[in-house]
Amino acid sequence: MDKTTYEESKMLEIKNLHVTVGGKEILKGLDLTINDGEVHAIMGPNGAGKSTLSYAISGKGGYEVTEGSVLYNGKDLLAMDPNERAGEGLFLGFQYPVEIPGVSNMNFLRTALNSQRRYQGAAEVKAVDFLKLIRAKAKELDVDPEMLKRDVNVGFSGGEKKRNEMVQMAVLDPSMAILDETDSGLDIDALRIVADGINRLRGQEKSILLITHYQRLLDYVVPDFVHVLADGRIVKTGTKDLALQLEAKGYAGLGIAENAA
Amino acid sequence: MTLKRYLDTPEVGRNFEKRKTGFVGADQAWLSDLRARAMDKFMATGLPGPKVEEWKYTNLGFLARFLAQPQANENFEISKTDPDTAEIKSLFDRAYIENISGPVVVFVNGHFYSALSSRPDEDGVTFSIFSENPGGFRQSLAEEKESTPLNNLNRAMVTDGYYLEVSAQVTMSRPIQIIHLATSGSDGQSLHTRGKISLAASARAKVIESFLGPDGPQYWTHMISDVDVAEKAELDYFQLQLQGKQAIHITELHSVLLKKAKFNHMNLQLGAEVSRSEIMNSLSGEYAEIGLRGAYLGRVKQSHDIFTRINHDKSHCQSNQLFRGVLDEGGKSAFQGKVIVARDAQKTNADQSNKNLLLSRKAEANAKPELLIYADDVKCTHGATVGELDRDQLFYLRSRGLDEAAAKELLVEAFVAEVFSTMKNGGEKNGDDMEILQQRFTEKTRGWLSREVIS
Repeated sequence: MDKTTYEESKMLEIKNLHVTVGGKEILKGLDLTINDGEVHAIMGPNGAGKSTLSYAISGKGGYEVTEGSVLYNGKDLLAMDPNERAGEGLFLGFQYPVEIPGVSNMNFLRTALNSQRRYQGAAEVKAVDFLKLIRAKAKELDVDPEMLKRDVNVGFSGGEKKRNEMVQMAVLDPSMAILDETDSGLDIDALRIVADGINRLRGQEKSILLITHYQRLLDYVVPDFVHVLADGRIVKTGTKDLALQLEAKGYAGLGIAENAA
Repeated sequence: MTLKRYLDTPEVGRNFEKRKTGFVGADQAWLSDLRARAMDKFMATGLPGPKVEEWKYTNLGFLARFLAQPQANENFEISKTDPDTAEIKSLFDRAYIENISGPVVVFVNGHFYSALSSRPDEDGVTFSIFSENPGGFRQSLAEEKESTPLNNLNRAMVTDGYYLEVSAQVTMSRPIQIIHLATSGSDGQSLHTRGKISLAASARAKVIESFLGPDGPQYWTHMISDVDVAEKAELDYFQLQLQGKQAIHITELHSVLLKKAKFNHMNLQLGAEVSRSEIMNSLSGEYAEIGLRGAYLGRVKQSHDIFTRINHDKSHCQSNQLFRGVLDEGGKSAFQGKVIVARDAQKTNADQSNKNLLLSRKAEANAKPELLIYADDVKCTHGATVGELDRDQLFYLRSRGLDEAAAKELLVEAFVAEVFSTMKNGGEKNGDDMEILQQRFTEKTRGWLSREVIS
């Protein structure tokens, strides 16, 4: 899109996105626009392409975009390296956060924050200020500071890993977060903490894309829009009611085939 | 089986004859005889060739240059004014770990350099220098723990060395640093040094040995260390190899542990074009414990060859080996780890782990664990892997803002850090020293990583 006609309020604009993984087309012409401060939820049956969408937006290798465009704040996201996308303010909350033995959470987070700040042309955060920042964020999110000294996600329970994603999100302060099944495998306490983390971000007018299999999270984080992804496309868009309908009737009840892909 | 193919024997012999009057201790008949006998043995075998299994990964052809040429370095200490003292000082500053105060002993181009040395001076600790007192080394030179070609050559040509002896019940108050420097004028020189570390019963000591030289000259560091750890004694012995890019670095370490002795050795190989580290150990008393840890990082033309052997001769001994290799563009490595458990060495506990990381398709890592077990009630494990960086870990880091080089650096550093992380467990009293040393090892590794190539 021509920069001069670009509407400032558009945070993420995906047009006709086709993505191939291992020679197989998973996304088949997906359109999605998320404006500043909006919370969108994408739901869909297994194999619909939900995780593929999050990886393609964040630039993971092996997810080949064969057609379409993704603009982020008007910039061509697909032309950027994953770290540049992060530097532009995009955050991906992983469905399965990766364990990194030998790298402490603190060291990792400080390196990440300063990498982003360098990219943005800002001064690096000093060790002392970083400590203050991370302690404050850990407290806000009710996370044990001891967890930050441990190696990244090593030996963490499923819930701890997701909390750790929230700490990272809070410290890195993105303008948009894509949260890929961040709610899966959480007990009710952990779910509340995760929801709290998301709502804090929302309170600051950030954009959020929730990718979820169940509507449970949506009780805590009420989305502005709910989309149903099936067979590589958005097939239905509505409000929170759509999620409730899905919960009640199932995908088949709404005329959407499970495992359509 | 050894091959003579690299040597023009008459020329090597003539060269030795020409040089022998200039050797340290040339006026002492026992030493001249010992040198001559060792040279005869060496001439009879020549250098091991690539068909010798143990030398399969390191080609010694390039050593011919050092053997066939006369060298100018025999009388280094006499003509002390010749070498550039400013250069030596700057090399020294790069090798010396300032925060670890204590005795320091410096060798330059294979010769003791008193100007920068301060020897240990405390009760129960005896320290001597070969060139000052060759007689003190008579027994250890004659012992001949191994009669390998290179060991014989070292014995014949020995330039200098040190002998550290700690008496029974004595704990050395500070770690000792031994620093081996080569100068820009060392091209073509072979530096045949020896070290002997001997701990009597219940003695304790820490030895930090660094090897450093400039890029440019092709010099050959050839060091043999003999280590004796008596009953209940404990030795921590660190070697940090930071040689110049064209250097050849060959070390042999022989240790003998008696009952309940503990020996920890850590070995970091970062420099040199070719390095070969032999670490040969005998657990000769019950309940002895040995830990060998090391990391080797190589790129471009670098090759590192680690050869360990642990003989479990007595029962209830423990050995633990942990080695990590990182090889980038053109780098090559071999880890050959042999554990031999004798028939009487029941209740042996032996672990060996060797993991290698290849950062480029043009890198090569060879791993060859070898277990020979003749006892039946033992616990022996080994694991060897050669792999690449984990793509999911890399993407995770990059998705948080680290560029590719920074993400790789962080992962490689973490991979190697496992080796250093055990250092702090050293001793309660010297905990700070070990932390400083761990920091030094980590810094040097980081320096290697960030230099350029990681692509």
